[in-house]
Amino acid sequence: MKYECSRVCARRLLSHAIMATTMTLGASTAFAQTDYYNTDAGRPLLIEDAYATERYAFELKVASFSLERLSRGRYNAGLEPEIAYGILPRTHVEIGLPLAFADIGDGSTRSGIAGLELSAFHNLNVETRTLPALGLRTDVLFPVGALGPDRTYMALKGIATRTFSAARIHVNGQYTFGSDPAEGANHVELPRWLGGVAVDKTLPLKSLLLSAGFFAKQSLERAEDPDYNVEAGFRYQTSPSFLLDAGLGHTLTGPERGWSFTFGTTLAFAARSLMPVRSGR
Amino acid sequence: MRYVTGTLGRILMLSAGVIALLAVDSRSAAAQWSTTYEQFYLPGSFNWEFRRSYPAADKLFNAFDYGHAILYERLYTQPNAPASVLEEKEYDFITRKLLRNPPRVPLEEAAIEVQYAKLAPEAKMMFEWAHLLHRQIYDVWADERLNVAEKDRLVGDLLSYYRSRKDLAFSTVPKTMDLMEGQYYATAFRERYPKFNGLIWAYHWLQVGLYEPLIRGESSAERQTGVVAAVARFWQMLESPPDGMPVIMPMTAAISPAFAERYPDAAIIFDNLHSMHDVISDILASPKVPRNRKRAEILKAAGRYRDDTSFVMTRAEARRWISCPIFRPRLWLAVPSTPEITARMLPRQLQHPPPRRLLTCMARHPRLPSRRHTRMAIRRRPGRRWPGWTTAQCTRKPSRLTR
Repeated sequence: MKYECSRVCARRLLSHAIMATTMTLGASTAFAQTDYYNTDAGRPLLIEDAYATERYAFELKVASFSLERLSRGRYNAGLEPEIAYGILPRTHVEIGLPLAFADIGDGSTRSGIAGLELSAFHNLNVETRTLPALGLRTDVLFPVGALGPDRTYMALKGIATRTFSAARIHVNGQYTFGSDPAEGANHVELPRWLGGVAVDKTLPLKSLLLSAGFFAKQSLERAEDPDYNVEAGFRYQTSPSFLLDAGLGHTLTGPERGWSFTFGTTLAFAARSLMPVRSGR
Repeated sequence: MRYVTGTLGRILMLSAGVIALLAVDSRSAAAQWSTTYEQFYLPGSFNWEFRRSYPAADKLFNAFDYGHAILYERLYTQPNAPASVLEEKEYDFITRKLLRNPPRVPLEEAAIEVQYAKLAPEAKMMFEWAHLLHRQIYDVWADERLNVAEKDRLVGDLLSYYRSRKDLAFSTVPKTMDLMEGQYYATAFRERYPKFNGLIWAYHWLQVGLYEPLIRGESSAERQTGVVAAVARFWQMLESPPDGMPVIMPMTAAISPAFAERYPDAAIIFDNLHSMHDVISDILASPKVPRNRKRAEILKAAGRYRDDTSFVMTRAEARRWISCPIFRPRLWLAVPSTPEITARMLPRQLQHPPPRRLLTCMARHPRLPSRRHTRMAIRRRPGRRWPGWTTAQCTRKPSRLTR
């Protein structure tokens, strides 16, 4: 989620993100293996692959920071801690609590929770010679917090992933249901619709994924024309349980032809009590 | 849908076109629908302990992942390529570069064996699940905070967790060699690629061979020494390929008898795992298996390795078979549990035993203690003897070292 704010709050967000990253990097207990190869929405590209979090795995995304520089020197910024859990085979659920530091127009800022986001992701099949991997994702954004939306929104996304020897291609299409936001309501970052393609190049011996993508989206307000965006980024596995990602995006059309930057970390772990083994420590 | 017009319409059409491109061949789509899935391994305080305590050996296993993956990818995508692609180009890359500078973290094999992963994702997942078991048992036995009873209990938990995935778990019933050697495609791989086959068997030798020093070592230092010696022995196998390599598939009970006795189920699982590795190599390499039958044959073999009924023998029969003398002179049966055996396991040039401290240090070194490094380290301490060791002890039965 992104909200308009000043340079001051953008810097503050950046410092929060760095602090969270440092804390995560300092964590000594690492239980399980993250997966740089399978991408998540916004980490670093908006276009994601068709695979869910592994069964029984938790993926804690603690420093999902985004900063967008718009025209006329204004900034949008957001910090969205999330946790995903592989609840069923090829299925994960995710909860995110976006934090926003928003410019209220008179030079001061206000901060708060900007909604509660629940997601469910289901991978329909594993990629084979004849079929791409297919996935479905549902996002529900609840009106929670001072900076949250004015009503509940639900979005549905379809995803396809095809792997070639040289690269991997992902196609995403998303639609958000519900009426337009009321006049004067907080801005909702969910698009009315979104369609895009991304290409990954994997460097397996370095555990590094390079990605680039293109997408078009229309805002929920519908009055505006769709904007076209390009983005690029990487995912890098620093240890079996820790992952870094970063990305850069640019809006090519529309009134706000700005640049955006994302940075995130992921820590993976599991809870033994949720696994099908009874005895032991 | 008044918004499905203009730009949106064009985007949807574009997306549909891309999806159509992605779905390459829908004629046999029904036969290719696969719903296998990944699952996390069992969490515990022992996680990643082998990585922390034995980094050099742990990194080697990351490199092994590459060797397995590139083998299947080359066999499947370049069936008519000259043997030198695997026997020279890939082999040289693996042994001269990759194994000497192994990756930091376990590899994503799907990014290496791209086409093979799409051919038989179910079989790929079976291997990954069993490799997880391998690594987790190393972790348990590398954790010096656990006593033996706790280690046994945890290994029991690991086996229980492993077998909870019926769709992936190898059988705990021994399979006869007919399953590997009696099929119409059998031995196709090793006949055409003896050197790479030897490399894979050397991998498998080390994968099971490391259990023995971990289990039989009575202290942390002994375990460290034993693991270094086993790794050194692995390197020795690669010195004169394929002559120095195992000539039959390493069997767990022969390589790691203490481990096989303690955890017979795990030993059989690993034998079945390694055997299926060879079978898939044969299926992919054999011209007798048409390209459009590769997947079916792989899945058929995978099913046989999972079930408890086909191609089975009793455990007593398996023990008798493995004790057959043919295994003994050709495999390196003992992995060290005592300084004497440790010395026997080292390369011949290193049979003057190095100080335990040096070996321990080497095991902790982030770079692999290659034979060259080891030799250099020993050379810096000429004439050094470890108290209690004699030259006779160190050179006892050298034929087992060098065949």
